[in-house]
Amino acid sequence: MGLLSPQDEATLKNHLSGITIPVQLVLFTQAFGGSESGDVAKQILNEVASLNDKITVVEKNFVLDTEDKAKYKIDKAPAIVILSDGTDTRMRMYGAPTGYEFVGLVEAIIVAGTAVIDLDPETMKWLQAVDKPTHIQVFSTPT
Amino acid sequence: MAAANENITADAIEATEFMELSRKYRVTGVPKTIVNETIEIMGGLPEKMFVRQALEMPEE
Repeated sequence: MGLLSPQDEATLKNHLSGITIPVQLVLFTQAFGGSESGDVAKQILNEVASLNDKITVVEKNFVLDTEDKAKYKIDKAPAIVILSDGTDTRMRMYGAPTGYEFVGLVEAIIVAGTAVIDLDPETMKWLQAVDKPTHIQVFSTPT
Repeated sequence: MAAANENITADAIEATEFMELSRKYRVTGVPKTIVNETIEIMGGLPEKMFVRQALEMPEE
């Protein structure tokens, strides 16, 4: 059984319909010593990808795929790297994207797939002026 | 924010799954945001207020 209800799927499909740029969701999971959340993350991503043919899921092994791990600077799993037509968007999700995190995942996919950033023009100006590495970590819980 | 500038990286972290990291940054409530290991933002803020705090911009 899917994690999304048929009604959720229909709503989500509509949300994702504006995507014009291919989006790759690179999922790192651990085969050993990992938690069940890796499987949940995989199921969620596959369900989302099934709703729009521009979205694909690429699976990587956190332990074995060391080159990709280094490339995307992944230090924990499960991790989801969001690519826009193969280019790193620098948006990452760690842990299974359930509950409120799921909203963040969908928003990130839409940004990657449309190249439209829904922020105030003044905010955009501030962000574009950032000239040093800035690492933002947002902690949340599923509920 | 990350999509707006290549100098910015944004991680969304499920706090209960990465307890060690949550302890390191003293996450006692969510959402909690850490910028460059030093700036702490508690709770959800309006867009502009959040970005001003994250970028350490002076108060208006």
